[in-house]
Amino acid sequence: MPTLVEEAPVKHAPPPPHETAIEQRPGMSEDWLALCIGLFIFVLSLGLLFGKDILGWAVTTAVWTIPGKALAPASKAYATLPPLLALAATYVFLLVVMSVGAKLLRADLKRFVGGFTVVFALSYLCWFLGSWAYIAATPDKRAALKIPWSLNLTNESGFIIALLAGLAVGNFLPGISRFLKEAIRPELYIKTAIVILGGFLGIAALEQRALATSVMFRGACAIIEAYLIYWPIVYFVSRRYFGFSREWAAPLASGISICGVSAAIATGSAIRARPIVPIMVSSLVVIFAVVELLFLPFVAQHFLYGQPMVAGAWMGLAVKTDGAAVASGAITDSLIRAKALAATGIAYQPGWIMGVSATVKVFIDIFIGVWAFVLAWVWAAKIEPRAGEKVRAREIWQRFPKFILGYVVTFALVLAIGAAVPALVPKIKASMGQANVFRAIFFVMTFFAIGTLSNFRKLWQEGIAKLAAVYVLCLFGYIIWVGLLISWLFFHGVLPPVVKG
Amino acid sequence: MTEPRLADELHKMEREYEPLLPIEKKLIWYTFATGVVLLAALVLISRAFV
Repeated sequence: MPTLVEEAPVKHAPPPPHETAIEQRPGMSEDWLALCIGLFIFVLSLGLLFGKDILGWAVTTAVWTIPGKALAPASKAYATLPPLLALAATYVFLLVVMSVGAKLLRADLKRFVGGFTVVFALSYLCWFLGSWAYIAATPDKRAALKIPWSLNLTNESGFIIALLAGLAVGNFLPGISRFLKEAIRPELYIKTAIVILGGFLGIAALEQRALATSVMFRGACAIIEAYLIYWPIVYFVSRRYFGFSREWAAPLASGISICGVSAAIATGSAIRARPIVPIMVSSLVVIFAVVELLFLPFVAQHFLYGQPMVAGAWMGLAVKTDGAAVASGAITDSLIRAKALAATGIAYQPGWIMGVSATVKVFIDIFIGVWAFVLAWVWAAKIEPRAGEKVRAREIWQRFPKFILGYVVTFALVLAIGAAVPALVPKIKASMGQANVFRAIFFVMTFFAIGTLSNFRKLWQEGIAKLAAVYVLCLFGYIIWVGLLISWLFFHGVLPPVVKG
Repeated sequence: MTEPRLADELHKMEREYEPLLPIEKKLIWYTFATGVVLLAALVLISRAFV
């Protein structure tokens, strides 16, 4: 989300509240940084193609009944490494990488190191707790784990626990929340994870090319919905029925319709709104993304386990902010696979449902710059014409979310190498498996950070009720249902591949 | 200069309502109509070819 904040031409674009201190010191944008970190981890993981197991020591957490047996290094080559040492090595590696990143962002390094340490520790603890067999185990695993029952939530329930822990910190422990501030960067974490995810989805596409092509096409169609069907109706409702001014209605419509924070900031900048406007809209977007994240995946699990790809697309279309959308896709992926297995005995391959959510979100993100350009032109030429003011085409590039380039590179590279040298596919899979360990950690930190940012009480004190009323009406009365309808139109009958054997 | 509070902003909007301009109405309905037409076309294409 800070992409637009930190790039020079967007003079009127303020950051979300938690980033105010950061944006005043120009540095690398979080978008570029996410791209660099994601590619760095991706390249290291490709060491396996050359016989170098560079990331094999990274820690993984299995579903456990005995805590001491939960952790292990990712690679068998490091099987002798004590699990706690693998955890420590993973922490140190991420601390060093992220601290270099913090330096490039010109963040307060000392505060970042302290904050990141706590964020990592609490997030990983939540991930660990979420992997407890009584919470995570799917029915087919209960016998092997020797447990009579489980909540069937898969180990992704760690994400929900992290979100709740973050909410507790953000709302009840303001001192700790302030201490963590420099490291509470959900968009940096999720964008890094999305860059890594590109390679993971590249493998999936390699194995199911026709299905992947179909998902890409249908995902691209989501652009039409977000920009052309959602936006005008939300703008109309907020102007006509809630009496919002143009300055408030346009960023609000973008925040609710497109991609939350980034879109609200880009629109605020495009129409020359005052800084308070996108700030308040962004705060609201984060809060409602948390609400959606907490219940939509469970609704999808209950009603859509027979149409998993519809559920994935729905998350991408209905849940705002990149972090919350892809995160809900991840939870929906595991919840639906677990339910489908329990109810029908079908074991879908992991990653496809989340892949649809990510694809839909990425396509929507790509067009934020174009939409901001269109609005800037309409406002400058027709609504509030100002003498001598011209909208430049290069602003489209300046507003383009750069981390998407990383996603495209990792996706295309894996696809190209696998297609050119099929014998390398097993090694590429192993490489992406190692990179995926870090993706999961970035995911769980995203959840924790989103929770920490969501200060419900503060927003209420600001008098945000009327703004929230528009959000509730449009989101729950229109966007969620239209999103479901359109996801159904494009994805019903499209099923993920089934696990063989 | 102090940052305006949201509550003040909302009161101000209640006092000074900005009616929808014809260009805004055009933006709203042309955009929506284009979206519906394109959506129908893409659904047909996805059924036929993808």
